[in-house]
Amino acid sequence: MYRTDAWDEVDGIGAFRPFLSTCYNNPCEPLRTAMPVIAEVIQASKEFISGDTVIVALKPSSMELSMGKVTLIIGPSGSGKTTLLSLIGCVIYPTSGEVIIDGIRTSGLSARKMAGIRLNKIGFIFQQFNLLAPLTAEQNVMLPLTLQGIPDAEAKGRVRKVLEQVNMSHRAKSLPKMMSGGEQQRIAIARALVTDAPVMLCDEPTASLDTQSAHIVMEELKNQAACGKAVAIVTHDMRLKPYADEIVYVENGQISKTEINEPI
Amino acid sequence: MLRYAWQFMKYDKAKSVGIIIGIVISIFLIGQQTGIFIFLTNAMKALVTNSRADLWVVDSKTINANALGKLDIRKLREIESVEGVAHVYPVVVAGGSARFDDGTTAGVQLIGSDAPSFRIGLDPKKIIGGNLERMLEDGAVSADYFDRASLGQAGLGTNFEINGKNAFIAVQTSGVRGFGGIFMFTTIEKARYFGNIPNTDISAVLVDVLPGADPSAVRDRINRTIFGVRAWTSKDFAGSTVGFLLTNSGIGFSIGSLIVFALIAGFFIIGLTMYSAALDRIRDYGTLKGIGATNGYIIRLILLQAFLFSLAGFAVGYLFIDLFRQGVGKAGTVFTYSPLMIAGFFFVTLFISLGGAAFAIRRIVSLEPASVFRG
Ligand SMILES: Nc1ncnc2c1ncn2[C@@H]1O[C@H](COP(=O)(O)OP(=O)(O)OP(=O)(O)O)[C@@H](O)[C@H]1O
Ligand SMILES: [Mg+2]
Repeated sequence: MYRTDAWDEVDGIGAFRPFLSTCYNNPCEPLRTAMPVIAEVIQASKEFISGDTVIVALKPSSMELSMGKVTLIIGPSGSGKTTLLSLIGCVIYPTSGEVIIDGIRTSGLSARKMAGIRLNKIGFIFQQFNLLAPLTAEQNVMLPLTLQGIPDAEAKGRVRKVLEQVNMSHRAKSLPKMMSGGEQQRIAIARALVTDAPVMLCDEPTASLDTQSAHIVMEELKNQAACGKAVAIVTHDMRLKPYADEIVYVENGQISKTEINEPI
Repeated sequence: MLRYAWQFMKYDKAKSVGIIIGIVISIFLIGQQTGIFIFLTNAMKALVTNSRADLWVVDSKTINANALGKLDIRKLREIESVEGVAHVYPVVVAGGSARFDDGTTAGVQLIGSDAPSFRIGLDPKKIIGGNLERMLEDGAVSADYFDRASLGQAGLGTNFEINGKNAFIAVQTSGVRGFGGIFMFTTIEKARYFGNIPNTDISAVLVDVLPGADPSAVRDRINRTIFGVRAWTSKDFAGSTVGFLLTNSGIGFSIGSLIVFALIAGFFIIGLTMYSAALDRIRDYGTLKGIGATNGYIIRLILLQAFLFSLAGFAVGYLFIDLFRQGVGKAGTVFTYSPLMIAGFFFVTLFISLGGAAFAIRRIVSLEPASVFRG
């Protein structure tokens, strides 16, 4: 089980216990048996053209994300981690190969359809949190539901639930600038959770956080995987290894190896 | 979306205020210039619009009501005999120099028509003092309240001289003013007397057509059958007068270019401020795209902000325009904006702010959703 008491000993995290969430929609019955593949990268590459030079950001690579697992993508700077995540996140098209999200092939999809996949299938978490500065915590979390066209009354209920889940109800009316980095990232997690998308993609989610906040965020992400989501986390930080079920190493624009990790 | 748009506007208060000020300034300038334009064109055609007749018949070379040629009095009977004409009313216009007790002198335009109908100028609705019956007395003329500063503060009953002959103000009107000259309405005989106009001459003939007759058909008939005169519908004659004066005075060009300038300046001030406000929020728009908002959604979000800016800008701008109108109205520059014109101001406001938003939209649409992953 993920929710060991081991954390209570690390950095006095016990104090943050109440924050740790239960599963959204199905109060926690961690799903550890079947692990269907939700996202596949099949021999996909990405080249960027800048002027007359071609930058190969990712050579043909393959990987998959399974529901219920935390997949860590580790590698040095410039190795192509974000590129890989961007492909799965449907913000860029592969130069060759295929990316398939929940059975949908992304090549040839219109920008509009790609936006639809991002909205409905993927929750994003960023290093810089990327909360919309003019909107309150609550409004930020509500945003994806508004984009989905969900009626306000229903959306509000769901927002309230996820804010409770990340233990941020008390900051619902705050603007992002009034919150600490850790708090902002929890709001960002709530925003990624609120649509109940099957995939969560995180680019350096802890890099801007202190150790304690980082633990809380990682614990929450781990908990989401336990609830059945496929969670991919890009990082430099080897200290995050213990949270992973699977680790994908990227070097020089290539996946160098994939290893199964024994969770703590 | 309304909420989000509002929050975005509220968040960048300084820029939002800047955008609104830009809108207010340009709409105020446009409204002000338009107001002056309305006032001036009204003044240009005041002689025609203050007459009550279907047709104007003037000398065949005349195209400006403020510079009427001479007609032979015999034309009056000829016109009267044209089929479809019900009544004819001669008008005599004469120049004069008015001299007041305090030494003030002023050039005036004496406009005479037959009592008691006074088909030109002395519209009971615009009379604020005096009595039309006194118009029959020797030396009786009208003067406009707003011309009093040019007339040595002359009011009702003031005695003065026109071309050295005794005159007095029997009727005071409000807002019946010409373009350049000062109007004084009187009877046709007194206009001749003050202006030394021979009995054989008249300046124009006003025509009422028979009930049911088509004024333009009667006009055409007059023009076909009577030599040396030109008949106009009142509306066309007013239009011709304004057109002539606008092109020959440069007023049309100068006001027109000011309006265009206000439009262009407003457009760019608003456009660039919106652009810079959008740049300040570029990360937020990138995030929106990243998490799945379509370009359509973001365009609507920006346009909605532009729309709200135009509502605020119009409300404040129109308030200023109306204060300006009331302010200059007290000084005699009286005009009103028609509802259509006010709607026009609103559409101009919308146009400049939605158009200005185009700069921001272009920038945001070109933003890659992948930008979310780059700091
Ligand atoms: N839009 C782009 N245009 C040109 N080159 C790009 C673009 N995006 C990424 N690259 C290049 O592709 C390579 C891989 O970039 P990527 O962002 O995937 O690396 P990363 O592993 O995420 O690095 P970091 O740890 O520094 O975030 C780099 O050399 C980068 O400069
Ligand atoms: Mg990166």
